Amino acid sequence: MQVQSEDFIARAADALSDTAASANRRRLGLQLPAQREAAVATFGAFQSLRDHVESVRRHTLQHLDTYLDEFEQQALENGNQVHFARNGEELNQRVLSIIQRHSAKRVAKGKSMVTEETGLNAALEAAGLRVTETDLGEYIVQQAGEQPSHIVAPALHKPEADIRSLFYEKHPLGARDLDTAEDMVAEARRVLREEFLAADIGIIGANALVAESGYSMLVTNEGNGDLCANLPPVLVICTTVDRLLPRLSDAMSMLRLLVRSTTGQPITSYTSFYSGPARDGDIDGPRETHIVLLDNGRSDILASDYRSMLQCIRCGACLNHCPVYVAAGGHAYGSVYPGPMGSVLTPLLTSLEESHTLPNACTSCGRCEEVCPANIPLPQLLRDLRHAENEAQLLPTPVRLGLKAHAWLVQRPQLYRWLSGLFARSLSRLGRTHWLARRVPGMTDYLNTRDLPMPAKETFLAQLQREAENE
Amino acid sequence: MNDARTEIYARIRGTATGASRQDIDSALHGLGSGPSAPLPSIEPCAAFLANVLLQGGSISTARSRKATVQAVAKYLFERHRTHKIAAGHDQRLAALPWRDAGLLPRFGAAGSNDAVSVSFAAAAVVETGSVILLTGKASPAANHLLVEDHIVLVDCEALLSTLDDATEWVGNLRHRPRGIQLISGPSSTADIGMTLVSGAHGPKRWHIILTGEIPAEAEEEARELAGLT
Ligand code: SF4
Repeated sequence: MQVQSEDFIARAADALSDTAASANRRRLGLQLPAQREAAVATFGAFQSLRDHVESVRRHTLQHLDTYLDEFEQQALENGNQVHFARNGEELNQRVLSIIQRHSAKRVAKGKSMVTEETGLNAALEAAGLRVTETDLGEYIVQQAGEQPSHIVAPALHKPEADIRSLFYEKHPLGARDLDTAEDMVAEARRVLREEFLAADIGIIGANALVAESGYSMLVTNEGNGDLCANLPPVLVICTTVDRLLPRLSDAMSMLRLLVRSTTGQPITSYTSFYSGPARDGDIDGPRETHIVLLDNGRSDILASDYRSMLQCIRCGACLNHCPVYVAAGGHAYGSVYPGPMGSVLTPLLTSLEESHTLPNACTSCGRCEEVCPANIPLPQLLRDLRHAENEAQLLPTPVRLGLKAHAWLVQRPQLYRWLSGLFARSLSRLGRTHWLARRVPGMTDYLNTRDLPMPAKETFLAQLQREAENE
Repeated sequence: MNDARTEIYARIRGTATGASRQDIDSALHGLGSGPSAPLPSIEPCAAFLANVLLQGGSISTARSRKATVQAVAKYLFERHRTHKIAAGHDQRLAALPWRDAGLLPRFGAAGSNDAVSVSFAAAAVVETGSVILLTGKASPAANHLLVEDHIVLVDCEALLSTLDDATEWVGNLRHRPRGIQLISGPSSTADIGMTLVSGAHGPKRWHIILTGEIPAEAEEEARELAGLT
């Protein structure tokens, strides 16, 4: 998995100044949380649904070997070929060799974060294959030569006008107009329809694997994943070893939780369970199906204190509710997985050295934990990673020394109170002239996009004491 | 490759509790089941139809076989001014009196030239307004994924209350289908400017005809429940 998380701050600053792209994000940051909240209210017993699914996920991870084994047996019985891949490169190799065995040329892909993680498209294209992403957002991002910026809405960063220009540039449109979003969707539908019909291989991901029956669950609104799973003669499902759920009923519970948390819908337009290749007498469906199960660090996470991160069902709610994600956008994170879940997952899947800036991209507001359907304690995991970052001495020396000094000071309450009182009084005096709100030496960049509030006259503790005395 | 399998299993086994299958099963059983969504009405037909509307579908009802084909014909004529329609090799579809409504379905898998198809739902779920289709001759995937309008006939006897009932229903099937598809709306996307557009790849319109002994006011109640009146 490639990461470029080192320059999070520079990328975030760029993103903040790109007003067109940030308009979409602001809309997302308002619209999706509102939709989710309405869905949660209509559902009623949402917290008990969350707790139930969490307990099932925990149980599954606790006995993952048993459930993985059961799934593998069932999947084999259903007629699938099951493969394992330790890392991204192995997955890419596996998939490539399946494709080459069929002398296939054209691949239609459904949305799959796992293959984003492994860089499968690049590997297949390097081998001369034509790979087409068929989720509309992924297709747009692929045509633009960019990376997805959201795990559920990949083209969130692209303003409508950019998509229009992109289609004019890439498609032979002739005199056709693309005035509205409907026109653009129709154009993509026309182009992608041909890809579906001509594809030799379909590749999709899985939202869950059902151990008791070997089914894999696929959840989409577009139906593109289902076209990939049903039209091409060979189907390859790429997913990870931790996606398991014991029973179909567990998948249904997770579905209730996932869709409401993602878009606020009770269910997506298409929810499918696939067991294997076409049966005798079927007039459609793939003749051959493969399931590739990727580890790529999951077994390490399972063995670590960060196991709860594997409960993630990739709903994207933590992104939609994160003030840092909404302001900075997915590309700032320099990783396939952005937002709070990405800030935990990326250092675990790569290394803390490569991505230690990410756990710091957090205001500790706690909204992600409030909405995470899988009950993952994201702020705590981020704090733990920051702690590990400090232990590993990855912070710049001035920050480390500053933190040390701070730790020393807060352990001396008298001195702390006296110094903070002095600081508050001086700030308040400086603030009176109002220049402080905009011109703080060394913070010009920061204050370009925001005003500071007027400083209070005294510290919180002093206020509290005064009020207690007055009572 | 086998190395990868062995290594991954070994790593995962290293974290496992080593509990017996029996203990694992009883622990899982002990977790109970999760809650389902509340239904909009205690009357299942109205509740189902309301949820279909909320999922972006359109609805009609038919109380006899003749009324069913007439409802299909009405939809076809209003939307497409045609009497052509694709249908899977489903015995229940084959047995309908199509000629009474002047229709001549083409039985088999839909091609790119077919604008409308009709399927017979194996079952349907009130909780989510979903129809369940099982892949196979009776309902080729192309018939509900390639057309512009997908009409689904749902027998009111086949309504299941919740997704848990759907799970039980699947468990009671005599065979394990290649694909179990829950369809709950037209193919849609919000990937361009967060505007919801129907017909991303598959059907732009999704029409449900509920058939059988349906309470007289079910359709009206559904529209009310969905806030459409
Ligand atoms: S961490 Fe939680 S909120 Fe974020 S994507 Fe995963 S399940 Fe959803």
